[in-house]
Amino acid sequence: MSSPSTHAEVTAADTAGRWPLLLLFASGLVWLVVSGVLALVASIQLHSPAFLADCAWFTHGRVTALVETTFVYGWCANAGVGIALWVLGRLGGSPLRALNWAVVGTLFWNAAIALGLIGIATGDATSFSLLQMPGYVQPLLVAAYVAMSVSGILAWNGRRTDGTFASQWYAVAALFIFPWLLVAAQAMLVWSPVRGVLQAVVDGWYVQSVLSLWLAPLALAGAYYVVPKATGRALPSYEFAPLAFWTLLFVGSFSGGRHLIGGPVPAWLPTLANAACWMLLFHFSVVALNLRGVFSRGGTAFKFISFGLSAYVLGSLLDAMTSFRGVALITQFTYFATAQQQLALYGGISMLFFGSIYFAMPRLTGRSWASGALVRGHAALTILGVLLLVVSLAVAGWIQGHDLNNAKIAYAELSAHTRPWLLVVTAAYSILLFGNLLLFVNFILSVCSACCVRSDNLPDSSSFRQPSAMEVPAL
Amino acid sequence: MSTPSNQDPRLDQAAASDESLLASHEKLLGTQPDEKARYKLVPLTLLFFFSGLIFFAGTYLNRYSGLFDPHIYNENSLPTTGAAVAVKIDPLVLGKKQYEAVCITCHQATGLGQPGVFPPLAGSEWVNGSDDRLIRVVVYGLQGPIKVMGVDYNGAAMPAIGKVAGSGFNLSDEKIAAVLTYIRQQWGNSTAAITTEQVAAVRSKDGDRKAYTAAELLK
Repeated sequence: MSSPSTHAEVTAADTAGRWPLLLLFASGLVWLVVSGVLALVASIQLHSPAFLADCAWFTHGRVTALVETTFVYGWCANAGVGIALWVLGRLGGSPLRALNWAVVGTLFWNAAIALGLIGIATGDATSFSLLQMPGYVQPLLVAAYVAMSVSGILAWNGRRTDGTFASQWYAVAALFIFPWLLVAAQAMLVWSPVRGVLQAVVDGWYVQSVLSLWLAPLALAGAYYVVPKATGRALPSYEFAPLAFWTLLFVGSFSGGRHLIGGPVPAWLPTLANAACWMLLFHFSVVALNLRGVFSRGGTAFKFISFGLSAYVLGSLLDAMTSFRGVALITQFTYFATAQQQLALYGGISMLFFGSIYFAMPRLTGRSWASGALVRGHAALTILGVLLLVVSLAVAGWIQGHDLNNAKIAYAELSAHTRPWLLVVTAAYSILLFGNLLLFVNFILSVCSACCVRSDNLPDSSSFRQPSAMEVPAL
Repeated sequence: MSTPSNQDPRLDQAAASDESLLASHEKLLGTQPDEKARYKLVPLTLLFFFSGLIFFAGTYLNRYSGLFDPHIYNENSLPTTGAAVAVKIDPLVLGKKQYEAVCITCHQATGLGQPGVFPPLAGSEWVNGSDDRLIRVVVYGLQGPIKVMGVDYNGAAMPAIGKVAGSGFNLSDEKIAAVLTYIRQQWGNSTAAITTEQVAAVRSKDGDRKAYTAAELLK
């Protein structure tokens, strides 16, 4: 902070945005841990139904709603917005402005989520997937999100260079699109609900759009920045990145109908969604081509981003495969669909978030992470946990789907068949919770070490290497 | 450029500055993939891949969309045009249903009736005899004594079942024909079916009238 010009790697944007962005990451991590505990409860109830069954707040339906809400709106939203603001600030070339808006927005956003969670637990939840928070907190969510986004939009508008980079497109898209999604879904489901089966159609659209048009762009904003930054090479096949971006934006929300295959909707809705799933493969293949440099090097951030990228691409292939009706006949409405969702949310998006946060944190605090052992532990446990979770859920879902299609198998037998795999799911959630606790502890230690040293020692100039100019590939 | 050695897990070093990152990617966007007529493999492959996906998605959409008809729920069917196809109903199924709703109370599921009170249908000469006579009994009902298979019955009256004045059941001609066909095929009976047209003809010939007696029918 004393002489920022000599430390080009820790920019003025970082020192100005330090506390607001750390607040976003910290709230995200708190919700991640809370969500982990709740996910553990929900998964135990799947094989031991009596667990907490007498406590109304923690009956299975409510706990699942709480898990989804804390994970998506608590962890993903806070972490994702933090990454988007950080990337927009750095690439904008000047310190973030209007950060008090971001702080107030973050506080209100988290207050709204806390209120929403209490609402869900006491029985005020709506019946819509990913939109369970009761009607009275929904407008607060929109307002708080808009306040959080202001800094990012200002940084985008006031950027120093005319040229733009893929990270910026994805970040700005996510900041703008989410309020629209949330308002549209609220209007059609909460304020003046559409009738009958149309509600399921709207909710399918909303769930898919949250994933494709909000969380995925937030995760990609970080990954597209960190990968070329750490490899020092321009992204290969970058000329296709705009096409991949627009494919996602145009086609992404059309694939929402795949949640309705086998449901009581006109046939063209799922058909359109399946076609969209296949079109999206273009987006995923270009992203994989662009970011393939991540597999060529080591490093903490790359460990997470390479896993996240693989899961992101693999998840899209799985979505496309299960969109065929013959496969959906078995997988739809089973644990397999949960496996797909966890692969996207945990394996894809969260891992990309982790990678970006590992890269960003030292630049925000001005120092390295407090403990290398905790970093390694978190990486190992998270990778193991996600693999176990997705594989065991997928196997359980496949068994469940086959059994459900066979009228001769009683429901009790079906439960017995899936039970061993559900026990593995619980183990996986415990591993993930433990891993995320390591990250949380490391985060607290790192923030404390940044606070407790005298300010003229910041940033720790010796640890950051001076970055050179980027290699431009020869044409 | 020095390759950063990422040995310390606590800190990922940056290998490029933000300004150079922006500048070099901006330069890439301005270039054409096949500049200087160097046909690179990646852009060509991607072009074919994207075209293939568009072709596949378009064909799939065309094949399974049910022409975007809001009433089509099965992706393999197409909207029907013109009149709906008439559904063929098995008279035995319809007849059994009517028998179980109306006749079974007196004539029993066995078709044997109640000895001395309700005459049997199984093997009865009334059931397996004249078509018109059978239709008249059921449509208009029957009062007074009747002799079935050599036994006299005088205990009960058969109510009118068809769509005639004073009928408590008002079964359509189709249902009457079905139940008659049914009793003619059950319990060892095997006489020809009665058609809806036969019932309608009897009903229009006789008009509205009171129940028949056995004597009238045997005339």
